Order: sequence, then C-alpha cells, then structure tokens
Amino acid sequence: MTAYASVRAADPAGQTAPGIVIETTALTKRYPGQVIALDELTVSVAAGVTGLVGANGAGKSTFIKILLGLLAPTKGRASVLGHDCQRDGERIRSLTGYMPEHDCLLPDVTATEFVTHLGRISGLPPTAAKERAAESLRHVGLYEERYRQIGTYSTGMKQRVKLAQALVGDPRLLLLDEPTIGLDPAGRAAMLELIGRIGADFGISIVVASHLLGELEQICDHIVAIDGGKLLRADTITSFTQASQVLVIEVEDGAGKLLAELTRRGLEPKPQDRAVLVRLAGEETYDEVRDAVAELGLPLNRMERRRHRIEELFRDPPAEPAGHPAEPAGHPAEPAGHPAEPAGHPAEPAGPPGQSAETTGAADAR
Amino acid sequence: MPADTASQGPATAATGITGATGVIHDLGYRRYEGQRLGRAQIVRALAWHSLRSAFGIGRGVKAKIVPLVTFGIMCLPAVINAAAVALSSSHARIIPYDTYVSAIRVLVMTVFIAAQAPELVSRDLRSHVLPLYFARPVRRADYPLAKLAAFVLACLIMIEIPELLLYLGTVLQAHGVSDIWAQTRALTPGLLVGLMWAVVLAAIGIALASFSGRRAYATGSIAIFFFLTWTLAKLLSHIAARTGQAAALKPGPVGAGNHAHLIFASHPIPAGVHLAGLISPFTTLDGVRQWLGGTSAGIIPDPGGYGTAYGIMLLVFLGAAVGALIARYRKVGVA
Repeated sequence: MTAYASVRAADPAGQTAPGIVIETTALTKRYPGQVIALDELTVSVAAGVTGLVGANGAGKSTFIKILLGLLAPTKGRASVLGHDCQRDGERIRSLTGYMPEHDCLLPDVTATEFVTHLGRISGLPPTAAKERAAESLRHVGLYEERYRQIGTYSTGMKQRVKLAQALVGDPRLLLLDEPTIGLDPAGRAAMLELIGRIGADFGISIVVASHLLGELEQICDHIVAIDGGKLLRADTITSFTQASQVLVIEVEDGAGKLLAELTRRGLEPKPQDRAVLVRLAGEETYDEVRDAVAELGLPLNRMERRRHRIEELFRDPPAEPAGHPAEPAGHPAEPAGHPAEPAGHPAEPAGPPGQSAETTGAADAR
Repeated sequence: MPADTASQGPATAATGITGATGVIHDLGYRRYEGQRLGRAQIVRALAWHSLRSAFGIGRGVKAKIVPLVTFGIMCLPAVINAAAVALSSSHARIIPYDTYVSAIRVLVMTVFIAAQAPELVSRDLRSHVLPLYFARPVRRADYPLAKLAAFVLACLIMIEIPELLLYLGTVLQAHGVSDIWAQTRALTPGLLVGLMWAVVLAAIGIALASFSGRRAYATGSIAIFFFLTWTLAKLLSHIAARTGQAAALKPGPVGAGNHAHLIFASHPIPAGVHLAGLISPFTTLDGVRQWLGGTSAGIIPDPGGYGTAYGIMLLVFLGAAVGALIARYRKVGVA
C-alpha cells in the first residue's frame, strides 16, 4: 500500500513521489453562492487505473477540471504528473487525455477527420496526427466506420470516438468522465474492457470517474470515493469489494431463529424485511450459513451475494479518510435503513459470478 | 510495460497472425516519440483549419456555395473593369482602388460574414466541442484569437483578391513603366483600406457569431446588425441632410435639389449627416478612409473635421468586438 502512502514530498516545486500521478492537498473549490464542490480534498493517486467514484454532484467533474488546470481552486493545491495544476496547466494538458462526460462530437465530419484535427491541437505534426488518429480509432475498435460521419454513429461508437480523441496525443494520463454513460449493458461491458486494456497494456494511467462502483470494480486497481466534495476513502479495490459485499439469505420461515443461530456463530447478522444479511468475509461465510440453515432445518429460499450501493458505502466512512487501507469500511450496512436514493442506481450489469444483474436490481428495489 | 512498449520500434511491436487470406497485424500500442509542436504552432494549425472551413474546404459541396458565389460577385467589377480597360481607347481604369464598388462590397461582405462566421464558431459551440480544445495545451484566449485570425484572413481574401484583379486588369493594358508605377501607387492605399475592412468586419462577425450555437440565430444576428446599422446610418444622414437643407435655404436662394448628395455638393454639410455615419461599421470604415486621405467619393460625405470621431469609432467597434469575443470564451466551455 505504498501507493497510497500519505507521505508527501516537502519540495514545493511540485516534485512528487515516484509512481504518484495525482496529488492534492486540502483542495477546495467554492462556487459563487456558497456552493462547495470540493472540500479540503487531500488524496494521492498512484499509477494504474483508478476509479473516482461518487454520486452525481459529488465533485468529480470539478476535480477533473482543476486537475486539467481549467479551473482554479479556491484553496489548496493539486499536481498532476509532478506539475502544479495552476502554474503548469499547459504542460499537464499536453500529457493528459480528457474524455468529457457529455456529448462533444461534431456530427458532420468523419471520425478520422475529427480525431486527426484534435491530434493537431494536441501538438502533433500533420502526418503524425493522421497516423495516430487512425491508430487510436483502431485501438478503440473503429475500423471502416471511421470514414463515416459521426452523426450516423450509435452511442457506443460515439463514446469510442470520444475515447480515441483522448488517446490521440499519446497521453501519460487519461481522465475519463463517466465513459459508460448512456450505454446499454453490452456497450458498458465493452467500454470497460477497452479501458481496462488501455490501462493494462498501453501503460497509460487512467482515472475513471463514475457513479457506479460496480463498474469500476472490474477494471480499477484503486478507488477514490468522494461525496459532497469530501474524500470518503482512497483504497485498493480489494479492500473496497471486501468491505462492500454482503450475503443475502432468505428462508421460508424462522428468520428470527436463523438470526439467533448466526449471531451465535459470530457472524453479526442483520435483519432486512424477511431476509437476513451477513457480511461476506470469504468462502467460509457460505459454509457457516449453510451449516446454520441445515442445523435449524429451515427451507432456504435464496442465498446470494450482493454489493452495497455506493451511498451505503458513503455513510460508513472509515476512521482515517486519508487513505490507509488497513481498516475496511467495515460493517455490512443496513440497506433496509437506506431507502432507495432518488438517483436510483441502475443494476450493475457485470457483477461477480453468482450474481446476476436482475437479482441485484431486485434486491436494490426493496 | 510502458518502458517495454516505448523501446519497441513499430516493426518489433508487430505480432503477425497468419490467416487463410493473409496476415493480420496486431501492432499493439505504440508510444509517440516524435516531435511535439508548441502552442504557437498549435494555434496556427487551428487557424489554418478554420480558414479552410470559412470557404467550405474539407466540407461538403453545400458548404462551398455561399463562399464561391459571394466571391464571384465580388470579383465581377474587377472583371468588368478589365474588359472596359481593354476595349476603351483610353485604357483608363473605371473603378477606384480605395472604395472598389462600395455597394457590392457592403452587400457581399454582409452576406459572406453572416453565412461563414457561424461556420467557424457556432458549430463548435453547438456540439460542445470546446472542452476538447480547452483540455489541450492551449490557453483560453487562443481559441477565439485563432478563429478571429482565420476569419480576418478569409475576409482579406474576399476583399483583396478582387482588388488585385482590378489592378491586373488595368496594368495589363498600361502604357509603360510610369503608368504601372502610378497604378501600383494608387493600389497601395486600396489594399490598406481592404485590410481595415477585413479586420473590423471579421472581428464583429466572429464576436456576434460566438454568442449563439444555433447557426440560424448567429447568421440572423450578424445580418440584422450589419443591415440595420447600415440602413439607420443612411436614414439618419438623409434626415439630417433635409433639416440642413431647410436651414440652408433660408439665408440664400441657392438652388437645392431634393437629393441628399446634391446638397452635399452645394452646401456646407450639417453635423448630423456626419455623425449618422458613426452608427454603422461600413460608414465608419468609409469615414476613416476619407479621413486618412482617400479621395474617391464614398458611401458617406467626407467627414472633414469629424474624421477623428470616425477613427475613434472604428477603434471602439474593433475593441468592443474583440473584448466581447475574449470575454465570451473566458466563460464558455469549461463544460
């Protein structure tokens, strides 16, 4: 976990520890009208693929804009790849590829023309821009289609063009803002796979902002969770998923008895409607539950793994937010206590094995 | 991994998969190790791209219609002049360099700017492309300034190429070096007036266009601005001339016509006539031309003592347009 060591280089010139791509100190952004987008955010992001997770309006986009040097923070400082965001914005932007959340493509030009032109604006000479545009489009999976006008593309293809234009300048860091937005489950899976491949095979560090933790789990090495502009947790993905997995057990009758039995076995079960929730510590949890149910002779209706929704994670912040992975956020939250948020997170399509999107959705709907 | 891919050349990075029909190469990801251009060159590239789009180059056929037709109309007087010079016995030029044919210039430039300025800026606004530009190694003001530079160049092409055609058509029939020299000396102020037109009109056009992402609105606002101010300037100068005429008739029985331009010739011009010209960029440009020594009869009477006011007004037009443009892009597009 050296990656998240909160040790900060004392050198004010913006020198950061090796392997750290983003570093912020007490980063605060206050918009006119006392809207606080970022609140004393201190975080280090290591090389690799990092998920920036937070509900809509958590400050993800503001964070990205400050990193690109497009927005001045009200307070605090940020550096990207060792360059200060306020002083060296141009340098940072020459090393960084950015994929915005919203639609940003010209409909009446071909993908080749569009990406080539933006390659020029990234500082590539004419021939290099053409070559790299073709390569970037190939990497994102656009072949013959790239000679067609972007206006004729599907949402999935448009997202790919957005990714290709971020890639065209051969960046050291990619900032992707909600790259799966508007995609169907298959499109999401393909996009995530693509991002994962870029991170793993291309040697480019990636920060993916998303409001869906389930998506990020599949491709990220680290997760930075923010809410209301504050850092909730910065951790490796494993400690995140461990902390966030719950086993839902539904028995025909006698949930109370099961509750008592599981407590006796030291599992800290929580009741939810007719079901019982248990924190999933590992394979042995399944065995314990199976044994308990068998011992009581209860008819088992359902037993499935499921993840906390992101808001639940957020209500359970660790004692030390600045990034020591030691304590996983802990207790299985009580989903019953948290009625569905208005933002209602859609089912996370590509869940871990044994958990289908439908059952997750069903569980969430309760 | 990055070190690996970086060190590999294109050839070694290739891993071939031999299939029945041929070889499919998966080249893998290749780092770009070549030259990277500085900010100035990036801005130049953006300006060049924008200049091309001002004439519909790199776009469909439809995008080329307006630029081509307006350019053709603008060249017509020069062509007619060439024919007249060739056919007449005196071989005298029939169109002055410093004004060209004012009415055609006003009309053509209004149409060209209203149609093409939105092509440069409104499209990007409409499609929210700006975040992609601003996330690249340029500064906030670089984008509008590159667009402005490109459009000034486009307007220069629209104005100066017909000027040069006018010159060529005349010079080809010239008698001797001294005649050519005289033509060249007369052309120079004409080119400078053209430059003044291009800079001021392009700035106003791009600034107005940058306030709307809808092409139709942008085109409409430019056309309305140019036509309205032009009409208003004309109208007010007529009204001022009429009142002036009434006043002038009292002291002396000098025969005065009904037309303003006749009055200009026979009476001291009332101040209102001069000041009316300050409303429109076109009349302001013409006023400055005369103030700086242009002798050909223009679209407004010689501003005389009001020349300075025209000079100042021209700077106000230019300053307001450029200022509004920069301010606009300081706010827009952080996404």
